Amino acid sequence: MNFWLGLLIGLKEISAHKFRSFLTMLGVILGVASLLSMFALTEGIAVGMRERLEANGGVERVSIDPKDPSQEVQEIAFLSPGRTMLDVEALERGAPLVDLVVPESYQSAALSRLNLTERVRVTGTVPNFMESGKFEIEHGRMLCQLDLDHSHRVVVLGATVVEELWPQEDEGFNPVGEVVSINHIPFTVVGTFPFFESDSAKRRREAGITEANRERANRRGHRRSSRHYDPFSRKNNAVVIPISTMFYDFKSAQNADGSPNYKLDQLAVRVLDLHRFEDSLEQVRTVLNRTHRGIDDFGFDTREEWFENIESSVRATRISGSLIAGISLLVGGIGITNIMLASITERIREIGVRRAIGARQRDIFVQIVVESAVIGVIGGLLGLLTSLGVLKFLVLISPAENAPVITLTAVSIAFGFAVAIGILSGLYPAFKASRLDPIEALRWG
Amino acid sequence: MALVELTDISKHYRVGDQQIVALDRVSLNIESGEFLAIIGPSGSGKSTLMHLLGCLDTPTSGRLVIDGVDVSKATNDQLAAMRNTRIGFVFQSFNLLPKFDVLRNVELPMVYAGVPGRVRRERALEAIERVDLTHRVHNNPLQLSGGQCQRVAIARALVNRPKIIFADEPTGNLDSHTGEAILSLFRDLSEAGSTIVIVTHDNSIAARLPRRIEMRDGRIRLGAEAAVSNTAPLIGRPAGEGAA
Repeated sequence: MNFWLGLLIGLKEISAHKFRSFLTMLGVILGVASLLSMFALTEGIAVGMRERLEANGGVERVSIDPKDPSQEVQEIAFLSPGRTMLDVEALERGAPLVDLVVPESYQSAALSRLNLTERVRVTGTVPNFMESGKFEIEHGRMLCQLDLDHSHRVVVLGATVVEELWPQEDEGFNPVGEVVSINHIPFTVVGTFPFFESDSAKRRREAGITEANRERANRRGHRRSSRHYDPFSRKNNAVVIPISTMFYDFKSAQNADGSPNYKLDQLAVRVLDLHRFEDSLEQVRTVLNRTHRGIDDFGFDTREEWFENIESSVRATRISGSLIAGISLLVGGIGITNIMLASITERIREIGVRRAIGARQRDIFVQIVVESAVIGVIGGLLGLLTSLGVLKFLVLISPAENAPVITLTAVSIAFGFAVAIGILSGLYPAFKASRLDPIEALRWG
Repeated sequence: MALVELTDISKHYRVGDQQIVALDRVSLNIESGEFLAIIGPSGSGKSTLMHLLGCLDTPTSGRLVIDGVDVSKATNDQLAAMRNTRIGFVFQSFNLLPKFDVLRNVELPMVYAGVPGRVRRERALEAIERVDLTHRVHNNPLQLSGGQCQRVAIARALVNRPKIIFADEPTGNLDSHTGEAILSLFRDLSEAGSTIVIVTHDNSIAARLPRRIEMRDGRIRLGAEAAVSNTAPLIGRPAGEGAA
């Protein structure tokens, strides 16, 4: 039999019993809606997490963190100088598997211009900092080697900082060449960073949702509280000076006994080849073992774990969500089977007539399966629409950090399941209908 | 060669432990172009005989050849193909599909025959014209009278140009006047060359057909055929007169 005719009969059958068909589809609709919503929400979360990870330097960035040395060397732990510029030099020379060795040294300081003063965290670092932290330059330039060599008093400012120091100026204001003071030492602004934000924040801002105002308030008022959690806000609040200047101006007598503090607050490298991730770490370890005189007072904080955590938590959410959605779909399928059985009982005579005028068993089979597949298809489509509604609603009531992301894969999986359920649940009724004896069926009713 | 040849056809049913013999070694030939009645009281086996002739069922034993095809051992699909292209059915209760209009009902057998849509429509309209229902093409069977429904059913039976048409009590659900009209429609078809078998328990109808076969207890009653063979001229007369 013609497939289109089967489709037509199915649609007719469904439209003849609209409410009944709708109730039948409800299981499929809810199943598909929950499946797709769940996929979209987890995908949204994953995208947000990946975005933040990316803003932090991506998976290839490994930061070298201090840790307690192991038991055996604890007695002589004082022999290790800790993380210093020596490490940077040694790594640049002795660890070819990594590049972008970026030291950072922090100093909490008063940043002022005219009568405006801001409490900021000044970062002393090297030019590589820009590439490693995925910064860009809006105006002027980044620090350069010359700044480092001569310990120039120059500073590169984040967008939020610029906004705070020049509150009267417009958004595109270029402060290059202006002088600001850090703890009363004058620094020349040589560059600024653009305003960084997550994609979802950007979309919200562009859509003009009130969220933008909150974001603005965040940038002004609650800067410090969110600094550690939001890499974007951290970047926007950056005050970057050459690390040599940092040592000379702020660290030269920082220790309690008046001696200089050469220790770095942050040391990170970039792994060149992710396939040789372990080798690269091993190389870094070997180099640092020398500079640290065999004291293992450092560890690696790899984003790989972070990345894996994202993936595994997303996977776990998906599995549990799919299970629930799957049960809903299964229930929907049982509903379809039930209705199809009732429907063929209603139509035994019709089936008898069709057989008598020449329908083969398989024609009847196809007709019933197509009918239940149509229920699955329509249910699936309505489910997709429902999930769009559900997601819109969710975004409306809780404009969370991560907007749900609907991927084509998720849509096809959810829809595919609906169609499969439609077909599968029609098989048994179709088999039953096709096996009816035409003579008996004609006598029915 | 006869259009339909039955040789020693038997049909047994099992109901519980009981073996029921519905047909007992029946032999019969139907020639092309014949117009005949199968009569007999209920339980005589006439329905079983029609089901076998109509390829809705297969015999327990014996040989049944229709239009040169031995259907006594045919598979389900072969039987379906026979019903589809060589056999037309007209039922007592019309058995139209109420969801479809007249045109689609008539088209249905061609759908299963795989006739392309446009040809299907053409031929259906042709058949509808033959039963004089062109003005009702897009009506639903529920909007038609009984006689009109039976005409649609006849059009449906005709549409695949079958070798033989079986009508099972075609006037049973109709008043005598309408029944008469249906009967004369069959007569017209017969005169146009169709082979028609009417199964009925109504002697007044059977009496007016050129040939009649009387069933009793699963067998053809001998001698019955000859007795009515010369009643042919009565065709077309009102039922009451024919019975007299």
